[in-house]
Amino acid sequence: MREHRHSPHVPYAAQLIDRRDLSEDTSLFRIAPEASALAELASFVPGQFVQLSVPGAGEVPISPADLPAADGTLELCVRRVGHVTELLHKLKPGARLGLRGPFGCGFPLGDMAGRPVLLLAGGLGIAPLRSLLIHLLRQRDRYGDITLMYGAKQPRLMLFREELAALAAGGGMRLYLTVDFAPEQQEGDYSCAVGLLPDLLKGFRFDAAATYAALCGPPPLYRCLVADLERAGVAAERILLSLERRMRCGVGRCCHCAIGQKLCCMDGPVFRASDLKGIPEAL
Amino acid sequence: MADNFLKTSRLDQFLETLRLFGELHAPTILESGVVSFAPLDDPTQLHLDYRRTQIPPKKYLLPFREEILHCHGGNYREGQSDAGDTVLFGIHSCDLEGIAYLDRVFMADAADPSYAARRARLTLVGVSCEPDDFCFCPEGMQSTSCDLFLNACADGFHLAGYSAKGQALLSAAAHLLETGEPVPPPALSAVCRAPEDPELRFSDHPLWQKYASTCVSCGACSVCCPTCYCFDVREYPVLSGGGTRIREWDNCLFASHGEVSGANFRPDRLDRLRYRFLHKFCGFTPLQGVNSCVGCGRCKAVCPVGIDLRELTVAPEQVQP
Repeated sequence: MREHRHSPHVPYAAQLIDRRDLSEDTSLFRIAPEASALAELASFVPGQFVQLSVPGAGEVPISPADLPAADGTLELCVRRVGHVTELLHKLKPGARLGLRGPFGCGFPLGDMAGRPVLLLAGGLGIAPLRSLLIHLLRQRDRYGDITLMYGAKQPRLMLFREELAALAAGGGMRLYLTVDFAPEQQEGDYSCAVGLLPDLLKGFRFDAAATYAALCGPPPLYRCLVADLERAGVAAERILLSLERRMRCGVGRCCHCAIGQKLCCMDGPVFRASDLKGIPEAL
Repeated sequence: MADNFLKTSRLDQFLETLRLFGELHAPTILESGVVSFAPLDDPTQLHLDYRRTQIPPKKYLLPFREEILHCHGGNYREGQSDAGDTVLFGIHSCDLEGIAYLDRVFMADAADPSYAARRARLTLVGVSCEPDDFCFCPEGMQSTSCDLFLNACADGFHLAGYSAKGQALLSAAAHLLETGEPVPPPALSAVCRAPEDPELRFSDHPLWQKYASTCVSCGACSVCCPTCYCFDVREYPVLSGGGTRIREWDNCLFASHGEVSGANFRPDRLDRLRYRFLHKFCGFTPLQGVNSCVGCGRCKAVCPVGIDLRELTVAPEQVQP
């Protein structure tokens, strides 16, 4: 099942091409893997993750924020939050990196075809969902209504604001933004609600019996949104959650990403809510 | 089997023959008094009448700490295993089954390169054993997951080869072997089985609360477990640039094990204990449903507060919460 062109431990060489700062602690890194890595990476399904190595610092699992570009480069949205990401944020274009993957199971695109898709992102959770959104919009005819609800703590922490607004203006999707609170009201801010994602969902009318919901965000987000979605009539089999764990090896051996008897790196990181029922530590 | 009988008086010569196949390691008593698999420089060091070593033979396949990658000039290269041919003599059936389980984890699918390299250089010679109060291996368990097995009887051992390597060992030692009386089947009385009702065991059974109130999260049960293989991966910079990536044993009883940024999915001891035993008895992807407890008794023997895993395997009404 798992196929590796070389040892599963050894990262392919990669290079940092450029970076774009999205907020005070989060940046979008464009990374060019070596040519021999491209065949493996081309199999990327939105929701899968790669293992990004910063030489001398270590490795972190990151879910790409875009589909691989035509030239094979990848966009990784990374928050400066730990040892490895701290060093990554200090690197300049041209720096050497390492890359393994993609690993795990992504979103079940085949099952989602022909159906409305509701994406619910909280904070940095927009990153994995952005690659799904880009896929959905590129193959717009294959899917029903596409809706993105995105919540951030406050306006300046909202990632990809302009880009999401531009995509929504294109007419391919509906976009709802919300912030927990809005301390600064700047000229030209995009209109957005103040409140939590469940509040947005409450007023939303949609075809719950047909819709696939895709969620990514901090753990408390799942706990309330899954229940809300089920109450609204979305079956647990069609609620897709991208879960975060510290995958160390990425190939199902180190056990660092265990969720009950499942492993996030092999059975996930995208799970159906129905698969997580009865696992106390899942959400 | 009756044709491959080794008299006890010829054991030393047999051990010399084993050295032809690699460095000989066997159970010995260290200066500290701990029974350990170690290089057998001198046959008098052999401590074959042992109950269990403190650390199981998994250390030969998964070293406590191992350099897996070296990075120079931005390129990662695989660390080379320094392990030579090794003959591991005197392993009990439970530990052989432990290795067989690790093989399923690390050799299946895309094999783990360093594990596979070590495994290929390892010759396993098992020996029958006498259970003590801590043992709870399956009744009559005799592992065939080895190259050669020595079944002890009054004045010697009956040898059985279970692999091509085992047959080669028998051929090399043919001049030491003779015909003996057939050996009676091993009689082990204790029982190890998965909890009959995992739903009950791994839900909110009061037993977990009882365990959690005494467990000190020292992790000794996991360190000493022949089938615990969790590892952490870390990277350290080197002054000349680049770095070294290591992997080392980790432990699911430590609070850090279930951490993610901003949360911990197993914050309490109860969660971590239950998680460990769930994994032990019911397995993970892709070994879900496989009971990996081999009944070696180490977890009970080393637990400083006397947590007894066997309570999980008796009928619920017999459990005293």
